[in-house]
Amino acid sequence: MALGARVLMVYGTLGLTTALLVASAFGTGVTAQSRPWPTERPPRALEARPVKFPPYQIRKLPNGLQVVLVSHHEQPSVSVRMIVRAGAAQDPKGKMGLAMLTATLLDQGAAARTAEQIADSIDFVGGILGTGAGTDLTYINTVVLKDSLPLALQLMADVVRRPTFAPQEIDRQRQQALSGLKVSAEDPGAVANRVMDRLIYGFHPYGLPGGGTAESLASITRPDIVEFHRQYYSPNNALIAVVGDVSADEAMAGLTTAFGEWSAGAVPVFVPIEPPQPTKRVIVIDRPDAVQTEIRFGQLGIARRHADYLVMDQVVKILGGEGANRLQQVLRSQRGLTYGASADLNTYKTTGGIVAETDTRTDATAEALRLTIDEFYKLQRERVYEGELEGAQAYLAGHFPLTIETPDAIATQVLNQLFYELPLEELETYPERVRSVSPDDVQRVARNYLRPDRLAVVLVGNADAFVKDLKGIGFGDYERIPIDQVDLLAADLKKTKR
Amino acid sequence: MKHSALPTALVVVSLVGLVSISPWRVAAEAQVHPPKLTYERVKLPNGLTVLLHQDRSTPIAHVQLWYHVGSRDERAGRTGFAHLFEHMMFKGSKNVEPEQHTSIVSSVGGQANAYTTEDATVYWQTVPSQYLPMVLWMEADRMATLRIDDRTFRNEREVVKEERRMRIENQPYGRLNEILFDQAFTVHPYKHSVIGSMKDLESGTIDDVRDFYRTYYVPSNCTMVIAGDFDPEQVKGLITQYLARVPAAEKAVPRDIPKEPIPVKEKRVTVEEPWPLPAVVVAHHITYDGHPDSYPLHIVSKVLSDGQSSRIYRRLVYDTGLALTAFGGGNIIQDPNLFFAVAIVNPGQSPAAAEKALLAELDKLKSEPITERELQRAKNQFARDYILGRESLQDKATHLAHAEVLHSDITTADGEFDIFQKISLADVQRVANTYFTPERRVVLHVMPKGSVQ
Repeated sequence: MALGARVLMVYGTLGLTTALLVASAFGTGVTAQSRPWPTERPPRALEARPVKFPPYQIRKLPNGLQVVLVSHHEQPSVSVRMIVRAGAAQDPKGKMGLAMLTATLLDQGAAARTAEQIADSIDFVGGILGTGAGTDLTYINTVVLKDSLPLALQLMADVVRRPTFAPQEIDRQRQQALSGLKVSAEDPGAVANRVMDRLIYGFHPYGLPGGGTAESLASITRPDIVEFHRQYYSPNNALIAVVGDVSADEAMAGLTTAFGEWSAGAVPVFVPIEPPQPTKRVIVIDRPDAVQTEIRFGQLGIARRHADYLVMDQVVKILGGEGANRLQQVLRSQRGLTYGASADLNTYKTTGGIVAETDTRTDATAEALRLTIDEFYKLQRERVYEGELEGAQAYLAGHFPLTIETPDAIATQVLNQLFYELPLEELETYPERVRSVSPDDVQRVARNYLRPDRLAVVLVGNADAFVKDLKGIGFGDYERIPIDQVDLLAADLKKTKR
Repeated sequence: MKHSALPTALVVVSLVGLVSISPWRVAAEAQVHPPKLTYERVKLPNGLTVLLHQDRSTPIAHVQLWYHVGSRDERAGRTGFAHLFEHMMFKGSKNVEPEQHTSIVSSVGGQANAYTTEDATVYWQTVPSQYLPMVLWMEADRMATLRIDDRTFRNEREVVKEERRMRIENQPYGRLNEILFDQAFTVHPYKHSVIGSMKDLESGTIDDVRDFYRTYYVPSNCTMVIAGDFDPEQVKGLITQYLARVPAAEKAVPRDIPKEPIPVKEKRVTVEEPWPLPAVVVAHHITYDGHPDSYPLHIVSKVLSDGQSSRIYRRLVYDTGLALTAFGGGNIIQDPNLFFAVAIVNPGQSPAAAEKALLAELDKLKSEPITERELQRAKNQFARDYILGRESLQDKATHLAHAEVLHSDITTADGEFDIFQKISLADVQRVANTYFTPERRVVLHVMPKGSVQ
């Protein structure tokens, strides 16, 4: 965001977006000022207006490129977003970082333009061009004022179809990625996340660092990049959305010019190894100068297309998500141990995970650990509280109109359905589907999937100051690794001594 | 998304916090003209300013309240108090139980949150529009009858201390701003960070909370924006019913904020921190938000740092590889603050060379005009920021409130368009010469632990 005053820092009660439906433990305080003020109930709601998912169109070019169109004419801008169905999960063995590096290089020279010329073209019209790789996908996004749409489409076609991958640009991006690794290796949150991915997914691609390692980045050659691009960047392996102040016909004409002659290719079939079953494993990453411990809890979950997704989503929301969040209630509101505690259901193409996270002052590490594990047990063993599920569902269903405010938010939902090959009708029926989940469903899924006895735990902090407390709470069996000795590719996560 | 491209580069940038999208608008040459931001301004007898922006395209409503108090208003020994108090506003009022403000909003599918800056404290919520009466009622309730309870206060203070540890102390580069501002300012409260010091957070008392509430949380110190799907007559009725009954302030809001003298001598500082790569900052004392010079300074930010064709990126990151990330921008806020150029220095590169390169870019702005193409590019980038920064109701409400509260002139929410149109090459060169002088300069080197002899 935008304003001068907000440029430097914004503090917020971020955790409070995850609201607390369980009644608070506090008594009533005295009011600050004794003024005549009525005692009253909140006013009644006005009559609700019907909400429908806004119109959009789905089309396809003859070469297989799937197209989403959302016309919206309030602001004179257009965003074009492409997704290629390949990301870090498709990195070949030993070549972690290849999808990321390939994506980063797309706009560093393409067709007749050098990196500098691409930057100059898009910057001059006030546009934005961004590329990157995620777990299962690569994205190429542009935003321009409406009169620059032809340029945006032309640049996108160039960077996606005709990237140069010039050797000096490869070296430059490789150097930047290596420097980036140096910084993130000392960022406690980033380290905790990477170690947790390895514990949950093992050597399944989701367990490996998508940003690469020093060794893997050094080993990547230009032919690797060219081959990755050739294999996966095909119209039949991609989606594109054109969103904003443009008519459907105009958008289709532009897309046909830019991508019509892009020929379809044979995309390799992705067959990952199975991730390991959950195992209780506690990793303490020692960072002696830490004042806080970054804590992660995790276990294997389900893929996005799994039949229990909707129920599982609500189970995890009750544990630590928006509209509910027992962890926030216990750790923050009752105990003041943290600024934020949450749980996420990460669902990808082939599998997924459940990850809870918090951070707390060093001397409260064991307490925060115990309280969080207890919440996993409680959710797995006991029925949800009266009203708790309704509360979570009221949030999810009621939130629907807020998710369709901007054209990009609309397009994101459509792209998600297409990317995961889910029925588009689901977009219309979301509120009803949310409410169809019963307390019995929640109990069944919590019981079947949650493994509180086999959670993986990562603690990144000043180990000397808290490890003595771990035994007393049943976590005496841990592996301790200095932060500069972490090796994500070793079975014991430790660098080999030389 | 689990992985993102170049995650650490982005992390560093956001930690230092200078990825700015500024709210201004474009030059006459641009063919695209965004729609005007419409509003109605209402002043209540108790002093509350209400701004209404109707938009019925989606059945949602956004309510945003700016209390004109931030870390700028804090006195010595109580740094961080404005933000700590922000947390207390979620701890219940006469008719709303502790923590229930947020949970009531979320139980109807809405979202609520707040943030504190140097100059203001902002509370917001977005809800399905049929719940607008409830939101106005709750905001009035906490404006008039906040519960101030010692046990709650002590608990929340621990939460804020954890927030400080998380954002500032436990992150590489988390304290960069704090170190810089402490070195750059002598008496103005901008010397301290918004989150405040651990010691001061510990020193605050329940009496301070009461006092702060009485002093600053009064209708005449508040601007409320209501944006979205509503009937104007109906919403005015609700405002009269709920907000107009909040009592007026008993006394004027104090504004005895010490003025920072214009520095007369360059300051150079080198410190050590346990961060992986050296950081170099070249900062200059500049002017305030709304001063005529502030607009060309925004152009300077664009020329130096917006996009891969910008000067600092090109020189320090792309051409020389001196920096993992480098950027420059003005922190243009209510009172005069800093314009800074920052580099996180790559392994094998020298901080001295990075400093020299940053200074060379600033000097070049003084010695020769930027090109016509650069000026036009900056104006086009402003047009984009203006449009993309006005997509959601929250965006629009923020622009309106910013103009009303920090410029004391609601018309600037759109009016700055004309000012930007007229900025010339000479204006840009003039402000560079005015502010990028050795006397106004603070140079900070932060070196990894153990690397300074």
